[in-house]
Amino acid sequence: MVQAMNKSDKKGQNRISSLLYAVKSYFSVQANVLIVLFAVLLLVLTVYPIYSVIRSAVTVGRMEAMRYNTLMHTKLSEGDLTILNFRALLTNESTFWKPLWNSLRMSAYASLIAILVGGTFAFLITRTDIHCKKFFSSVFIFPYIMPSWTLALVWKNVFANSGVGTGVVGMLESLTGICVPSWVVYGIFPCALVMGIHYAPFAYILIGGTLRNMDANLEEAATILQASRGRILRKITIPIVMPALFSTVLLVFSSTMASYAVPVFVGSPGNFFVLSTQLSSLYNTMATKGQAFVMTIVLILFGVMLLGINLWFTGKRKSFTTVTGKSGQVSYIRLGKANNIIAAFLVIMLFLIAIFPIISFALESMCEVQGDYSTLTLKYWLSREDIGGFAVNAGHGILFNGMIWQALWGSIKLSLIVSLIVGTCGILIGYAVARKRGTKLAGLVSGLAFFPYLVPSMAFGAIFLAVSTRLTFLRGTLMLLVIVGAVKYLPFASRSGTNSMMQLSGEIEEAAVIVGASWPKRMLRVLFPIQKSSFISGYLLPFISCMRELSLFVLLTTSGTLITTLLSYFDEKAVTQMSNGINLLIVIIVLLVNFTINRLTGASIDKGVGGN
Amino acid sequence: MPKITLTNVTKQWGKFIAVNDLNLEIEDGSFVTLLGSSGCGKTTTLRMIAGLETPTKGEIRFDDRIVFSSEKNINIPPAKREVGFLFQNYALWPHMTVTQNIAFGLETLKWKKSDISARVAEMLRIMRIEQFAQRYPAELSGGQQQRVAIARTLAPKPRVLFMDEPLSNLDAKLRGEMRTELKRLHKDTASTFVYVTHDQLEAMTLSSKICMMNEGVLQQYAPPLEVYNHPANLFVADFVGNPSMNIIQARAKKTAPAAAEIDFLGQKALFRAGEDFDLNSENVSVGIRPEFLPISPSGDIEGLAYSTLPAGMETTVKIKVDDTILSSVVFGAIDYETDAPVRFSVSGSGILLFDRSSGRNIAVGSLTVRK
Repeated sequence: MVQAMNKSDKKGQNRISSLLYAVKSYFSVQANVLIVLFAVLLLVLTVYPIYSVIRSAVTVGRMEAMRYNTLMHTKLSEGDLTILNFRALLTNESTFWKPLWNSLRMSAYASLIAILVGGTFAFLITRTDIHCKKFFSSVFIFPYIMPSWTLALVWKNVFANSGVGTGVVGMLESLTGICVPSWVVYGIFPCALVMGIHYAPFAYILIGGTLRNMDANLEEAATILQASRGRILRKITIPIVMPALFSTVLLVFSSTMASYAVPVFVGSPGNFFVLSTQLSSLYNTMATKGQAFVMTIVLILFGVMLLGINLWFTGKRKSFTTVTGKSGQVSYIRLGKANNIIAAFLVIMLFLIAIFPIISFALESMCEVQGDYSTLTLKYWLSREDIGGFAVNAGHGILFNGMIWQALWGSIKLSLIVSLIVGTCGILIGYAVARKRGTKLAGLVSGLAFFPYLVPSMAFGAIFLAVSTRLTFLRGTLMLLVIVGAVKYLPFASRSGTNSMMQLSGEIEEAAVIVGASWPKRMLRVLFPIQKSSFISGYLLPFISCMRELSLFVLLTTSGTLITTLLSYFDEKAVTQMSNGINLLIVIIVLLVNFTINRLTGASIDKGVGGN
Repeated sequence: MPKITLTNVTKQWGKFIAVNDLNLEIEDGSFVTLLGSSGCGKTTTLRMIAGLETPTKGEIRFDDRIVFSSEKNINIPPAKREVGFLFQNYALWPHMTVTQNIAFGLETLKWKKSDISARVAEMLRIMRIEQFAQRYPAELSGGQQQRVAIARTLAPKPRVLFMDEPLSNLDAKLRGEMRTELKRLHKDTASTFVYVTHDQLEAMTLSSKICMMNEGVLQQYAPPLEVYNHPANLFVADFVGNPSMNIIQARAKKTAPAAAEIDFLGQKALFRAGEDFDLNSENVSVGIRPEFLPISPSGDIEGLAYSTLPAGMETTVKIKVDDTILSSVVFGAIDYETDAPVRFSVSGSGILLFDRSSGRNIAVGSLTVRK
């Protein structure tokens, strides 16, 4: 009896010690530590926010209780659970269904425009002998580097006229006297166009990357079999770039669904409302806050659905992995006489979408009377006096304005911290996922890391506002902004990190393990230098995105903290000279950073997005 | 059936000359191999003939039809040249099944539906890939993909088939099998095959003629055994044959017509050629194939066994004489102690004499060591 007990005791001990041993040996591999760490961290950072959104959606607030009690004769009190928020929103034609329809249409058109413009451009650059490729491809991504509302503001600056909206006179009217109809200035047309062009570089990077990496032999094999250009394009090229097309659609569609600034600038003034603008106004009214969270759930569901479709499509049997061939020399289509015409057209187009905005901002920031170029002045830049007029509390001219410098410094500080965190996490996630590829945990981590992309920035801000009301030590701090920014920009960083880690064979690291290099040394001395430019791209993209971000932070901070929130403040107060000037400042800083880093390290936005 | 003629074909990328003034005649029904190390211009040559690359200068004819001429400004696109092309990495379309891949070319040619399915079935049978008909390329192994690629290329019955290192991505055993099949395929289809490879064994065993290239320049164009036995220069001599030919620096002095006194490896020897030759300088290189250095206790020259590499059927013995290391191949398996003394002779009438500065082959003959 005693012996038997001893035996089973021993057995149990053995089992525990062997389990301990298994755990210990599992965690002696850095990749395992990282993958578990990130799995836990990301679960917390996605599950908790989702939980808090759902909770907020089904809980009645004080004002909401009052509203429902008077409207529907319910007897709700603060903190009760209810589905009334869902019912109220989902039965409301004007705040939900119509904006939803608008959002869907806008996103569909924007995706179409992005693919047509970006895809055609990608084809021209990678498959034809068009002139000045290098110049074109570096200028073409300007609209993506600049804040998304840039083009919207320009659109307004040019086309606004005395017959529409507030009656501000735009460049076109002031120079030619032409007043364009209202639907050109405000509404779905400018919204979709502006978003489409803003994301066209995206399409170019993704589709162009596939085209460039696609084995030229695949097309040549069809040429040899006497297929015509058109047939090759239809049967070979397009099907092979299909996955890139789909990911472009996924990204553009969900980004457009979530975009806030553009519809605010060129949508709302024409009574064109979309989900994101409705979300913000629901959120800002105490009595409809719950409905705002319901809408957030809807937006997230759309994102998940799109991602699902994308996964289903790319997960099909036919593998699209394009083997890179040895013949790097694709025979370019000779454009002949059309070359000059197309090149000239591109120059004009690029001027309009990339260079002209800068000029327009500069001009508008110097107009005493908006749109009237006879009133040019440098006052708004150089004045050391208060600007006054109807510029309430505007302070001094931009260059001597303490508020602006402080906000700019705030933005730079935030962007630096965020990009350092995000870029590093991206590399580590990439490393862990690449080393553990094929395991469930790796799939989970890369899926979770992409999740924040599906949540609209505005909703993301709202979620973390909800979080900060519970964790009060975070409220209004830089720390909160850092966390929000870090989580929101993780998707691209982890994607580019994974891409570049996947390209490194495990043997490269193993060679360093054999000679006894420690893990940090392997990362810093071996892996990082090899993929330096694409890793730095993983830092660059979050920095730039953060510098120009508005909707993510607008709910979480006061207007003077960041340069973008300050911009939005001046815009609300209709001090257009200041807002245009600040915009110019942001655009120039972002472009400068991009090109300096690009020159110094070879890193670029394309690599950050996951192109090649 | 076309004969392919290249006249003064040159291809330049900026200052880099990939192919320099190449003249080549590929006879109808032959199996020609373009042989050379990577970057020698062989693939470029093949791609120019197929029309995938545009030569900088020169003329290419299929029989009497000019398909490319820089002077006459003619450049017929690859589709109109009616050729087949087998790519190194197969270039199978990843989004099409095996059947769709094979049928693509036939559909382009507007064959009748029934003819297409008959031809596809036939190709599947010939290449023994019937069971994979509905699979996607990613679901096939390298060897199977290779067969699909061949089936796709042969389906429209091209009269000329170009192959760009088609076997280099396969493992050694499979490569051997495919070599056998390619040779049969050449007989069965009676087409002209032009084949690019860097593997001299492949070139030796498959082709009816080898076109040896180096740095864009044609070195020798001759049947395999001719290239092996009478290499035109040191480059060809060194490239073809495994283990490589022993190339030994020597001094030569003409003693009689078709004969010379050779000073090499610290020995004096008499070289006798079949016909008379000229010596430009006394600095020559003697080329001796490993099989012409038999090892025996009564051999003329003594050296040390530097290393012995028995492969079962034959053994390669590396022999060190002074500072020179020579290779000798002996039939059967022997193993020498490292650094054991070994005696060997020079035998046969296939000993080559090269001019050292130009590298050109001067004479072929026999070498007798004086005792």
